[in-house]
Amino acid sequence: MSLVADTSVPASPSTWAGQLAESLRGVFLHRRWITFLVIGVVWQVTAMIANIGLFPTPATVIAVSWQYVITGLFFSELGISMIRIILGFSAALLLGTIVGILMGSWRFWDEFFQDFVILGLSMPALIYALLCVMVFGLGLTAPVMAIILGAYPFVAVNIREGVKSIDKELLDMSHVYAVDRWRLVRQLILPSLLPFILAAIRVGFTVAWKISVLTEVFGGDSGIGYQIRVDFASFKMRGVLAWGILFGMVMLTIEYGLLLPAERHFARWRAKVKEVI
Amino acid sequence: MEGTAISIRNLVKSYGDPGRELLVLDRISFDVAISSLVTIVGPSGSGKSTLLNVLAGLEAFKSGSVEIYSNNSSSKLGYVFQSPRLLPWLNIEDNLMFVRPEHVDKALHKERTQRYLKMVGLKNVGHKYPHQLSGGMQQRVGIARGLCVEPTVLLMDEPFSHLDEITAEQMRAELLRIWQETKRTIIFITHDMQEAVQLGDRLIMLDYHGHIFEDIKIDLPRPRDFTERAFVDFYADVVRRFHQMQARRTEEIGESEIGVTN
Amino acid sequence: MEAMIATPMSTPLGWSSRLGQFLKRFIFSPRWLAILVALVIWQLYADYRDTRLIPAPSRVFTELYGIVASGLFFTELAASMYRIVVGFGVALLVGLLVGILMGSRDSWNDYLKDLVTFGLAMPGLIYALVAVLFFGLSLWAPVTAILATSYPFVAVNIREGVKAISKELLDMGRVYQVKRSKVVLQIILPSLLPFVLAGFRLGFAIAWKVSTLVEVFGAVNGIGWQIRGSFDEFSVHGMLAWALLFGLVMLFIEYGLLLPIERYFGRWRPKVKQVM
Repeated sequence: MSLVADTSVPASPSTWAGQLAESLRGVFLHRRWITFLVIGVVWQVTAMIANIGLFPTPATVIAVSWQYVITGLFFSELGISMIRIILGFSAALLLGTIVGILMGSWRFWDEFFQDFVILGLSMPALIYALLCVMVFGLGLTAPVMAIILGAYPFVAVNIREGVKSIDKELLDMSHVYAVDRWRLVRQLILPSLLPFILAAIRVGFTVAWKISVLTEVFGGDSGIGYQIRVDFASFKMRGVLAWGILFGMVMLTIEYGLLLPAERHFARWRAKVKEVI
Repeated sequence: MEGTAISIRNLVKSYGDPGRELLVLDRISFDVAISSLVTIVGPSGSGKSTLLNVLAGLEAFKSGSVEIYSNNSSSKLGYVFQSPRLLPWLNIEDNLMFVRPEHVDKALHKERTQRYLKMVGLKNVGHKYPHQLSGGMQQRVGIARGLCVEPTVLLMDEPFSHLDEITAEQMRAELLRIWQETKRTIIFITHDMQEAVQLGDRLIMLDYHGHIFEDIKIDLPRPRDFTERAFVDFYADVVRRFHQMQARRTEEIGESEIGVTN
Repeated sequence: MEAMIATPMSTPLGWSSRLGQFLKRFIFSPRWLAILVALVIWQLYADYRDTRLIPAPSRVFTELYGIVASGLFFTELAASMYRIVVGFGVALLVGLLVGILMGSRDSWNDYLKDLVTFGLAMPGLIYALVAVLFFGLSLWAPVTAILATSYPFVAVNIREGVKAISKELLDMGRVYQVKRSKVVLQIILPSLLPFVLAGFRLGFAIAWKVSTLVEVFGAVNGIGWQIRGSFDEFSVHGMLAWALLFGLVMLFIEYGLLLPIERYFGRWRPKVKQVM
């Protein structure tokens, strides 16, 4: 009978570069490669044995992905999709921040927007995508509107939390010392809000690209989503998987290589930043 | 052995890999007589909590032996922790029922539960939940829990250290009363010298090496308070010995890094 | 949505009476105002623009009423629910298993971490499409899609729950030699419960969404299929009607099922301010 020793967690690095280095170090963790290997082997073997013909082997998917990359198709489509995502996401960020600030600062606005935000959070991205495609047709408006509708609640909720968490005691203290407005915003409010803004950006981005892809699937003539639909319509599963994995990897890199380390870096003094929405 | 509740022989406990071991308990040996109240003091890091954990079976030890004689008791051990450690989702009565020893009949244990809750002054809180009670009351529930299993030995690990001084004083008086009423064997760990001298009829002092530095019988009548000359003198003597021990330690390390304990 | 925050009502019109409080909270609250404003804007916009594209609220509600009254809503709901319950049931089991493994040992955490992250990050779309391509119209399509997308949410929460089990309480149980079954039933399970509920909530919400996607691409009944139908017919009022119904069902599940369950199992908790 022995007492389980407390494994003390090493302090996480505080610089963004340090965070990135730690992520890279984590990449070489041996256990995760064992998992990859196992998955890869199982996939390959089942696909070959089952011989259903329809389900591609990892080799096939890799080959197709390589095709898309080499021909440059992936990059051109990625670029188109990214423009939509960035535009929509920026707009959603703006709207969400305004709503979030309102909700966090005044009880009235909190209750006013409450239902919209909750509804917005729970509606599937599908609905926004379909509606906007129907109403706005092809072109830039559909994805942008869909992203705004679907992503702003996530931004708003995070900003709201941030506003509510601004330390009242510090505000009072600043009032006593008659600290001028501009300095107050710059040195108290913005730093307090920063981790929440970063969280809002990360979550908003996650939702934005998922919605964008959906709009492209249903009403696009270009972009990653469009390509996915083309392959789906031709029953080309390897293509669907290839696009999914390629695009997913890019998005994951942005989220885990850029947004999450940035968030952790600026939120050092907070408790652990959860990776889930 | 007649009249012995618990017998410890050459207990050795260490941490770490072989070759780089930290010796926490170094051949500790002592017997505790039935119905005695033994207080164990020592500076932080002297291994007193570890000793208790070993006795409780929470930690393994390297060599030596620990024997708990069963006498007429229902179970071997009761343990009162520093924090109450009550299950927050059960009410007080269910919390006490939770530790019912397997061989004890439910009805009998329930009756004991009520008896001991009454003894600690908490007759009517059975249906309440822990968060509804104050810290002191929760700690008293912990004591009732330790008692209601009618153990051979009741282990107490600095049970009053998290309470404010006024409550702690009340609890000490309560503990003495309960001890005299139940005649339980109690091993009480504390870092507070005053508390140790006030409560125990035997005081064991551990040093920085995990040795027993002093083993003193305290014959003074109770209640012991600082208006009585005999007690003050005795206490002063104990403190003096404690400082001796610290001084020796300072020599060994070659610098004074020891914080004031009392 | 109850605001359990207690604030003194000190308004100029003397609303401090109970009736006043009731009125203020339920009738004149900003929430109704918001809904009113939304409806007005909607109506105006519909009148101003091409009504074919933006239907008037009245049209949508008529459609909604029709769907419910004719019973269509319930048959489609049943079809969808069947898929979700089966799919999420499996996801729950897998998630529990993975979460418990990941929470108990660091080694398992390392092995399984990526599978979970991958599942969290991949859009449901891909799983839905692949599942439909592979399984066609059968039940396997939504079940595998739901399994793949939902289990990570359950797993992550369970993992946190396992890590959060109080060692102090377990030690206490050990000292008093409480038998194993009692420890599991009275320490471990109650500790895990809030995490199970959180995982359930998140996972179930995702399950809904993915299942609907699967129905959009490959089904002959269900709410998703109806939504697809509205899209193909270019019926905005139809889609909005189904979307609202969808939202209503989710609200019902949250407030009629999950919240009461949470409250029942949380009776022992000290009452804390409810936020959102």
